[in-house]
Amino acid sequence: MADKIKFIIKDLDLYYDTFQALKKVNIEIKENKVTAFIGPSGCGKSTLLRCLNRMNDLIDNVKIEGAVTLDEIDIYGDIDVINLRTKVGMVFQKPNPFPMTVYDNIAYGPRCQGIKDKKKLDEIVERSIVQSALWDEVKDRLNKSALGLSGGQQQRLCIARAIAMEPEVILMDEPTSALDPIATAKIEELMETLKKKYTIVIVTHSMQQAARISDDTAFFLSGEVIESGKTIGIFTNPRDKRTEDYITGRFG
Amino acid sequence: MRKLKDNLLKSLIYLSAFITVGILVWILGYVFSNGIGLINWNFISNEYNEKTSYVEVKITNTPLSINQESLNEKAFYNQKVDKPLSDAIYSEKLGIAVMEVEHSLRGKKENQFIVAYIENGSEAGEALDKSGKKIGINLGDVITKIDGEALEGKDLKDLNAIVSGSNESLVKITKPGYGVLTNIVTTLYMIILSLSIAAPIGILAAIYLVEYAKPGKLVNVIRFATESLSGIPSIIFGLFGMAFFVVFLKFNLSLLSGALTISIILLPVIIRSTEEALKSVPDAYREASYGLGATKLQTISKIIIPSAIPGILVAVILSIGRIVGESAALLLTAGTVAKIPESLFASGSTLTVQAYYVAKEEANIQMACAIGIVVIVLIIVLNILAKLISKIFNKANY
Repeated sequence: MADKIKFIIKDLDLYYDTFQALKKVNIEIKENKVTAFIGPSGCGKSTLLRCLNRMNDLIDNVKIEGAVTLDEIDIYGDIDVINLRTKVGMVFQKPNPFPMTVYDNIAYGPRCQGIKDKKKLDEIVERSIVQSALWDEVKDRLNKSALGLSGGQQQRLCIARAIAMEPEVILMDEPTSALDPIATAKIEELMETLKKKYTIVIVTHSMQQAARISDDTAFFLSGEVIESGKTIGIFTNPRDKRTEDYITGRFG
Repeated sequence: MRKLKDNLLKSLIYLSAFITVGILVWILGYVFSNGIGLINWNFISNEYNEKTSYVEVKITNTPLSINQESLNEKAFYNQKVDKPLSDAIYSEKLGIAVMEVEHSLRGKKENQFIVAYIENGSEAGEALDKSGKKIGINLGDVITKIDGEALEGKDLKDLNAIVSGSNESLVKITKPGYGVLTNIVTTLYMIILSLSIAAPIGILAAIYLVEYAKPGKLVNVIRFATESLSGIPSIIFGLFGMAFFVVFLKFNLSLLSGALTISIILLPVIIRSTEEALKSVPDAYREASYGLGATKLQTISKIIIPSAIPGILVAVILSIGRIVGESAALLLTAGTVAKIPESLFASGSTLTVQAYYVAKEEANIQMACAIGIVVIVLIIVLNILAKLISKIFNKANY
């Protein structure tokens, strides 16, 4: 069965002022799979991730050429960015819950969409927390500050917050780099269950993590995609010398 | 040799610290020792000007509920400036007791008859003037005439005999002045009015600068302008306010002219501190909010401003300090009339302007110092209040 393609990225160039951060990037991202972007620091993988929900719009002097399509619609064309971001959620490197209660954090997105009905919000909050495997830990402290949670719990709360919007895609920018191994394991486990429902794109520095959780992998170097394809293929039988050097730890 | 040098330096450092604290204590001590003699409830609750009026008191024939001895004990007079010359004399008809005292204020001595006691059931507190406005006779008011008979030089053994009417009695009373109620009220008006002009404009301008404006020439010009504004002495703003608000716009010396001028002085303070508060909100909050599909306005109103509230409140506290402390600009725009302003276009003097006025025009250092105490206490109270509010907001956040 051929996998359905979610994102098609075609000849994407991105410039910060005069610095070219992405060079002619071509990748396809498949639906209900985990796609990992790996590569050394500053290679453009986070930049590409941020292209997928147009977070780069927030930075001044960014110029983007090429095309990114989501379900065959050009997201840099005539579309509503707000709408795009509700469809493509994002989890950041550092857990960044808002300084509000756990409940308000999760209800924030839906409330911004104009949902005011208390019952409906309760339902969304509970469902999102359950889905992000956090329910048992926070069910008694929904009305306490989210900043009182541990780092791992905060990150899962951020995932719950993204899920609350019922997105189609979840982008994760090194979601476990600030967490300890146990919290990391929990999040990886969570991704395994989430991919049944959502398409997940993850940027990671940890090759082991990419190997463990992803179905597809793309290797980046200096703004270029050196190699992309099935994770198993890339890790066991890289076609490019540079990929092999990187995953065997010879540089980077 | 080296030890000597070290010790010398150390003593210089210590000395500097002590000089700083010493001067502060000295000034506060001077203000308090000079002014504290005047501070009492009357000073706070009296208006600055004496106010004389004729009032009509309903005759109630209320018997005295206590004996003469305890009446003398209970008799009300301001012990700092009044010396009792007689017993308190009670009038059943009016339901009040009058006492002759020697009143000394600002070097002058005069004999007065003051209201020393008001019996329960007396209608004196409800007394109306001729136009039907409630004036009320209160403790400490000076009575000069009852039913046309001057009290001065009279033996008041039987006060009842002087009261000629059987239903109502016409009493001429003088509400004592030399208080600062007028100025406290004007100061509070000034705070409310100028903050309600300057705070919204300042906060919105700061939001524009931090959240909307693209860094470039325009922002630099605005920043430069606000920084320059905050360095200009307030008398210059006063001159501008006088020329523009008072003369050109014909607002006259008024609360409104003063408040507008003060608002201009406050803008840089509010903009700068609000900007700092907004900048200190982590970008991670903004990203997270945008990532959840919130619009810019939602992000600002639901995430950024609530996170910046403590900082914005600091701006407001600083502003209140500026308003209470401002005198030069207000002298030129709001005037020195010691009356509670009846409208936006009425003149009124704040506490500090009044302190200037009594010190300069009446050479009454004692009262100026007493006003100083009130200003200091007012600022402390406002600061504590603002801190409490900030704490509550912080709690609501977390």
